[in-house]
Amino acid sequence: MEKEMIAMLLAGGQGSRLYALTDKLAKPAVPFGGKYRIIDFPLSNCVNSGIDTVGILTQYQPLVLNEYIGNGQPWDLDRLYGGVHVLPPYQKASGSDWYKGTANAICQNISFIDRYNPKYVIILSGDQICKQDYSEMLAFHKAKHAEFSVAVMEVPWEEASRFGLMVADENDKITEFQEKPKNPKSNLASMGIYIFNWDILKKYLLEDEEDPNSENDFGNNIIPNLLRDNRDMYAYHFSGYWKDVGTISSLWEANMEVLDPENSGIDLFDENWKIYSRNSGYPGHHIAAGASVIDSMITDGCNVYGTVNHSILFGGVTVESGAYVEDAVIMNNTVIKSGAKVCHCIVAEGAVIESNAVVGAMPDGQTDGVATIASGVTVGAGATVGPNAMVREDVKEGQNHE
Amino acid sequence: MSNSNISAMGLIFPNSYDKMVPELVLQRLMASIPFASRYRLIDFILSSMVNSGIDNITILVKKNYHSLMDHLGSGREWDLTRKNGGLTIMPPFADRESTHVYADRVEALAGILPFLREQKEEYAIISDCNMIANIDFKPILAKHVESGADVTMMYSSKLISDYDLQREPERGEFYYTLEVDGDKVEDIKVNSKAPGINQVSMNMYIIKRTKLISLIEEGYVRGKVYFERDILLDKLDELDIRGYEYTGYTALISNVKTYFSESMALLDEKNAKALFGDNNIYTKIRDDNPTRYTKDSKVSNVTAADGCVIEGHVENSILFRGVKIGKGAVVKNCILMQDTVVEAGANMEYVIADKDVLVTSGANVHGSDIFPMLIPKRKTV
Repeated sequence: MEKEMIAMLLAGGQGSRLYALTDKLAKPAVPFGGKYRIIDFPLSNCVNSGIDTVGILTQYQPLVLNEYIGNGQPWDLDRLYGGVHVLPPYQKASGSDWYKGTANAICQNISFIDRYNPKYVIILSGDQICKQDYSEMLAFHKAKHAEFSVAVMEVPWEEASRFGLMVADENDKITEFQEKPKNPKSNLASMGIYIFNWDILKKYLLEDEEDPNSENDFGNNIIPNLLRDNRDMYAYHFSGYWKDVGTISSLWEANMEVLDPENSGIDLFDENWKIYSRNSGYPGHHIAAGASVIDSMITDGCNVYGTVNHSILFGGVTVESGAYVEDAVIMNNTVIKSGAKVCHCIVAEGAVIESNAVVGAMPDGQTDGVATIASGVTVGAGATVGPNAMVREDVKEGQNHE
Repeated sequence: MSNSNISAMGLIFPNSYDKMVPELVLQRLMASIPFASRYRLIDFILSSMVNSGIDNITILVKKNYHSLMDHLGSGREWDLTRKNGGLTIMPPFADRESTHVYADRVEALAGILPFLREQKEEYAIISDCNMIANIDFKPILAKHVESGADVTMMYSSKLISDYDLQREPERGEFYYTLEVDGDKVEDIKVNSKAPGINQVSMNMYIIKRTKLISLIEEGYVRGKVYFERDILLDKLDELDIRGYEYTGYTALISNVKTYFSESMALLDEKNAKALFGDNNIYTKIRDDNPTRYTKDSKVSNVTAADGCVIEGHVENSILFRGVKIGKGAVVKNCILMQDTVVEAGANMEYVIADKDVLVTSGANVHGSDIFPMLIPKRKTV
C-alpha cells in the first residue's frame, strides 16, 4: 500500500543558540506557549493536513523528545500503518555513522521511506512556530507539476541577507538560490519546508552520498544540485505567522506574541487548527484571593498568590504571595517564592527562585536583554540575576550574577 | 506501584443516586456530572482504581449513558485500553419481551453473572460515583485479605445533613450508616435519623468475586433488589462484614446543594491539595490552549481549567474548560461548566451554569448560597 505523502521532521539539531535551555534536551522539545513543546506545531500541522506518517530524525539529547513523542497518541499519530516513528542514527552492517547533515539524515532512512512507497515527501524542521496547512502546499506542488517545492516567506529587503533566498520568476519557478547573500536578488526567504517527489529526492540523496566533498546538507548541496540540473523547482508563498525560535530572544518574543493574538497573528484558540500536546494531568489552576493576574496565559496545575503581568506560566508553576512576575516565560513546576521579582526572562522547568531574589531586567530598566535560568536551578534568597544572564548553576543567597 | 499479588477487578455503578440530582442529570447520569473544573465524577473512582493497579474495570450503565460513553471512549486516558481486562461498559440486559430495566445492584449484577464467572481476579471492588475521593485501594485490599472478612465496607465519618434526613425510601433513596465495633460491622442502618457525625457508608465494598457471585445468585432468585438493604443487612449475622474507615478527603454529592458546597470547598487550597495529592486524576483530554487573562481581567479565588478567556471580573468561582467571560461582566460564587459564555456586562451570583449556556450582555442572574440557581445545558439567559 502506498501513502501519497509522508513527512520527515528534522529534529536532531542541538539548538546551541538556545544555550542553557538545550543543555539537556533537543531544540524541538523546548517548551513553548504554556503547554506545548516546539515539535507540537509541525506534528499538529501534519495531522491537521492529513499526513498520518511522520519520521522524526533525532540525534542530539533525544531522551526527553523520545519520551514525549511516545507512541504518538496525543497527536492521533498512533496508527496501524504509518503513524509517528522516532528515527535515531543506527548501526548498519557497514558504515555506521551519526547523521552528518540534514540530507544525510534522510539518506540513512531511505528504507524507512520506501516502506510506505510515497509519491511525495515533505521535509520539516523542528524549530519553527507556525500553523500551516501542508495539503495546500502539496496542491500547489501538483498544480505546478513540480519536482521540488519550497515554502517561502516575504521578508523585509533590509533583512533579506540573513536568510537563504529563493529567486523565482513570475510563475514562481525558482531560478536561483542565494544563501545569506550580501546583495540579495530576492526577498523570498526559505522556511526550510520542502516537498520533493520521492523518486527525485532519492536520486539526489544517493548521488550526494557519493560526493566526498559534500556537506550532505539540503541548503548547501541538494538544492544547488537540483538547480544545476534545471529541475522543476517552485517557490510556494506562505503568509501566515511563522517564527524561527532558534535564539533566546526569538523564543521569548514568540511566547510574548502568544499573549497578543489579535496583533501578532499566532492564534492558539483556533478550533479548526488545534495544536495538540501531551497532557500534564494536573488539576485546574488556581488564582488565590489577593492575587493579581492580567494579560497572561495560565494552565493546569498553577497556583498563583502573587502578581502575574504579561507572562506565560506553564503547568504546575507556583507564584507565592508577594512575588512579582512580568514579561516572563516560566516553565513547568518552577516555584517563585514570596517577594521575588522575575521579569523579562525565561525560567526553565523545575527552577526555584527563592524569596526576594531579583531576576532579569526590571520594567523601568534600559536594557532589553532576556535573562535565562536553566532547568532545576535555584536562585538563592535575595540574589540578583542580571538582564542578559545565562544561569546554568545555582546562584547562592545574596549573590549577584550578571 | 503495587508489589502485592492481590488481584481485584472494579465494578462501578454510574447511575446510583441519579434521582437525587435531577437538575444535573437531565441529559446525563451521576457519573458524568462535571466536577472540579475539568473532571467528571467518574474520573475519581476510575483513577483511584487505576492508580491502585486495578486494570479490569466494568461499568454497569443503566440509562442516560451517552455522555458517559463519549467521555470514556476506549478508556485510553485512564490507561484502560488493554488486551486483557481494561474498560468494559455493560449496558442493561433488558428482558426478552419487555423494556424493563433492572431496579438496582442485585438485578444489575445478576445480568452480568456469566461475565463475572469468566473473570480471573480473585476480588471485586464495587463502587458508586458520587463519593469523590482519591483512594489508594492497595492497603484496603491487603487489610481485607488479612482480616479474612467476607465483605469490607468502606466508610467515612461525615455529618448527616438535614437533606439526607429527608430521603424517600419508596423512591429508592437510601443511604447507609454503620455501627462498627473495632473493625466489625455490628449494624447497618438505612436512612438513619441520627443527626451529627455518622459512619457513613461510602458504598464501596471489597468482596471475593466468587462470594459476590454466590450472594447474587442466591439473592436474585429470592427477589432481592438492594445489595446493602436486602443482602448485607439481611446476612449480617451470617457473613463476616468488616468496616474500613477511610480518613482521606471525601466529597459526597447527594443533591444540588451539596454539589455546590462540595465544589466550592475545593477553592480552599487545603482541600484541593488533600483531594488531588500526588496521584493524578485522569480525564478526557480536550486539547484546549492555556487560559488567557486579558488586560481587563480581575480575578480572585478562582479555579479554572484550560481554554478559558477571561476579560471580566471573577470571584470565588469555578470555571470549566472553554468558558468565556466578557469585558465588564461580574461573576461571583458561580460554577460555570464547559464552554459557558458570559457576555460583556452580565452579572451573575450563585449560579450553576450547565454546559454551553449563554448569558447575554447585561443579564442579571442571581441565586443564593442556600439555593444556587441552575441554568440547564445549552440555555440562553
